[in-house]
Amino acid sequence: MTAPPASPAPAGPRALAWRRRRRAAARFWRAYRGHRAGLAGLAVLALLALAALTAPLTVGGDVASVTGAPGRPLEGPSGRFPLGTDRFGRDLLGLLVWGTRVSLLVGLLAAVLSVAIGAVVGITAGHFRGVYATVLMRVTDWFLVMPTLVLAIVLATVMSRSLGTVVLAIGITSWPTTARLVRAQTLAVEARPYIERARALGGGHGHVMLRHVLPNVMPLVLAQTTLMVSASVLAEATLAFLGLGDPAVVSWGGLLQDAREAGAVSSGDWWYLVPPGVAIAAVALAFTLCGRAVESVLNPRLGVGR
Amino acid sequence: MSTEEQHGPGRRRPWHRALRRAAGAGIAALLLTAGLATPLDPAPRPAAAAGDGERVLTAAVAQSVDSLNPFLATRLVSTSVLRLMYEYLTDYDPGDGHPVPGLATKWTPSADKLTWTYTLRTDATWSDGRRITAEDAAWTFRTMMTDEEAATANGSFVGNFRKVSAPDPATLVVELERPQATMTALDVPIVPKHVWEKAGDLGTFGNDKAFPVVGSGPYVLTGYRADSYVRLKANPRFWRGAPKFDELVFRYYKDGDAAVAALRKGEVSFVSGLTPAQADALRGQDDIEVNDAPGRRFYALATNPGARTKDGTRFGDGHPSLLDRRVRQALFLAVDRETLVDRVFQGHAVEGAGYIPPRFGTYFWKPSAGQELRYDPGRAARLLDRAGYRKNADGRRVGKDGRPLHYRLLCHATDPNDKAVGQYLTEWWGDLGIGVELTCLDNVTDPWLAGTYDLAFDGWSVNPDPDFVLSIHTCGALPATEEDTGATDNFICDKQYDDLYARQLAEYDPGKRAELVKRLQSRLYDLGYMNVIAYPNALEAYRTDQVAKLRTMPEDGGNIYGQDGYWSWWSAEPAGTGDGPDGGGSTGAVAGVAAGVVVLGAVLVFLALRRRSTADDRE
Repeated sequence: MTAPPASPAPAGPRALAWRRRRRAAARFWRAYRGHRAGLAGLAVLALLALAALTAPLTVGGDVASVTGAPGRPLEGPSGRFPLGTDRFGRDLLGLLVWGTRVSLLVGLLAAVLSVAIGAVVGITAGHFRGVYATVLMRVTDWFLVMPTLVLAIVLATVMSRSLGTVVLAIGITSWPTTARLVRAQTLAVEARPYIERARALGGGHGHVMLRHVLPNVMPLVLAQTTLMVSASVLAEATLAFLGLGDPAVVSWGGLLQDAREAGAVSSGDWWYLVPPGVAIAAVALAFTLCGRAVESVLNPRLGVGR
Repeated sequence: MSTEEQHGPGRRRPWHRALRRAAGAGIAALLLTAGLATPLDPAPRPAAAAGDGERVLTAAVAQSVDSLNPFLATRLVSTSVLRLMYEYLTDYDPGDGHPVPGLATKWTPSADKLTWTYTLRTDATWSDGRRITAEDAAWTFRTMMTDEEAATANGSFVGNFRKVSAPDPATLVVELERPQATMTALDVPIVPKHVWEKAGDLGTFGNDKAFPVVGSGPYVLTGYRADSYVRLKANPRFWRGAPKFDELVFRYYKDGDAAVAALRKGEVSFVSGLTPAQADALRGQDDIEVNDAPGRRFYALATNPGARTKDGTRFGDGHPSLLDRRVRQALFLAVDRETLVDRVFQGHAVEGAGYIPPRFGTYFWKPSAGQELRYDPGRAARLLDRAGYRKNADGRRVGKDGRPLHYRLLCHATDPNDKAVGQYLTEWWGDLGIGVELTCLDNVTDPWLAGTYDLAFDGWSVNPDPDFVLSIHTCGALPATEEDTGATDNFICDKQYDDLYARQLAEYDPGKRAELVKRLQSRLYDLGYMNVIAYPNALEAYRTDQVAKLRTMPEDGGNIYGQDGYWSWWSAEPAGTGDGPDGGGSTGAVAGVAAGVVVLGAVLVFLALRRRSTADDRE
């Protein structure tokens, strides 16, 4: 614990707020540090993020070029190609690194989209109640009972094949859980006396939702986003594996799909199948670990939860 | 029936189209999920030598049946099944493909070659015991001549018929408007009149409800479920002699690897459409014979020449730059066929040249050195410059109207080769400064019929008599209206081509006809609407411990699945009886299941015990 500020010269309210936030962040990090699994997940994520960001320098976009493929099709691992080559003779290690970009990007964007929709629906439904909330929550229920994968497949089939489509398909099929969670939290927050006070002082709908409810549901949203990323990465891989991704874009799911189409399963070319599979599992696991850690730090009632 | 599409169809009937639209995405989703799992076994039993002594030959297929009605079916799987169900007037010799007697034992033209008289065999009966008469054949042809729906699949054969009659049960007389070279190879399944008279509307009749379906071929259809199985029983009344297998089942495996796994386990005896990697992996296996034969298909890049109807009404939205022959040729000049054969087909294909595959030596044509569009990106760039499509500051080719060259390339999501070749094309054309949008769809029919594509992958199987595949590029094959389907492949209409087509059809001298067919191909090559990339090999495998012998076509190094005839399945002979390696395989399976049950039981017991032991800790 840092020593309480002596505050001889009273700081302005803004500076005070920043100091408070800094302290909260430090407190969060201290608590998070206690979760070993969370740290491990974070380390894996940092590593993958680094690989994704530096990919243009390390492997370069040429790795995805089929006309400039350096090897023969389906070569086994060797000194030149540590993970062998794919059906075009491209270096699989390079493709794996290059695919990190798409998988992470789509995972993050889809998760943000899904949680954003969920948060807006949840907060407004919890705040306004009445007919509006009833209608909105029935819509949510409808999306909740829809099999997500089937809906995403349908969306990806009818729209053009691009990354944006995949993001959209995942985003708009996976928000209902978040909406339900956020609505529950909103109801709990709005029952507190200070909300009533804020209303009495003239706070409008926007003020209450943005200044009071949103900061209180934010931790939940954050944890939900982190957890949602792993689901989105998996969903992206699934859609790409089903052949619904953009065929020209290299992603892990797309690599698996290529491997399947080339008959790598029956010819036993494990180097084509295992690395992308392991990578997908690793990212999903890392995000889940982080998400769980964040969740238990922000919500002590969840218990020790290491 | 001459020519069947191997996969993703270029054309289909309107009623089917509406159905597809409605079911659209849902079907796609189902197909995709079906592709993940091994299909449920319609009737679990080992592929050969089942317990009750039935000898069953099971073949894995992936393509969906479009229809089992011979008047409508155009897909390879359907026409292959129909070949087994219905005998034709003539068959192709499995050796060299010359016409041999089928239902007809003899055929003679009149002096002016306008009247053909067929003598039908008297010893042939339908599977229900009735005799096959000339009236059946006459009814089949007449129906195709009068009912437009019935002409959907094989209309090109009867378009020139004036009158068909059956003066007596063994004589069929066909009178023609003009001479027609395909009279000795009428690839039309002859159906039993006494059954089909009552079929009702032929445009919607599926022929897949009342089993067994009365037929005349080596097998009789006894069961069918869409995307699940097609079951056929040996026809003991088949005039050529009953097949050695009692039953033939085409079982669906939407996933190639699942089919290969089933072959390895002995659940199926035959798998076709292998990838090079799968073929290489199977080659070293015991009891499995891999057949790598020159195929009868061509694999081409089709260009939208501006979709239009018979009366010249234009529709669709093909890129206008493709109407310039220089642009079409430039596109093809930038395609390195050698690399594609080497990388995508991994040597299991022959580099493309003319329209007809080299396997049909009589008609095979190669462009001369001066005519050939060899891979030459430099020449392609010069051609585009000359056509007025120069590179702008961003390195993209722009027309005079300022519109950049950007093409939609239609590919079959079901064919891995399309996607792979598409990626090569995207890069090659990208270097030229041309943008490509690779659109892979499960159902390419809708944009295809509507003419809303620029370039597309195309492929047809070719018969020993090439008339059909040539007929689909004539002006006469164009659709009557925008809503109609038409027999056209991709809206090609060229007067010079049509003239040559008519001349070859009317030419009875084989040598002269072959010469005309070659000139026809030369014209098609120069037009640049159909650019043949390769002739893929047929890669297939069968279990030698279940099937002792199969006749390939041609007999010397030919293919098995999708032949121009029923030779492979009719001639298939079961291997051994019972206690071969097959028995060992099923013992292994039984042992495996038993072990699984034991392990599962142990886990359950363990969990139960554990649960009891912790019962106190729980509430």
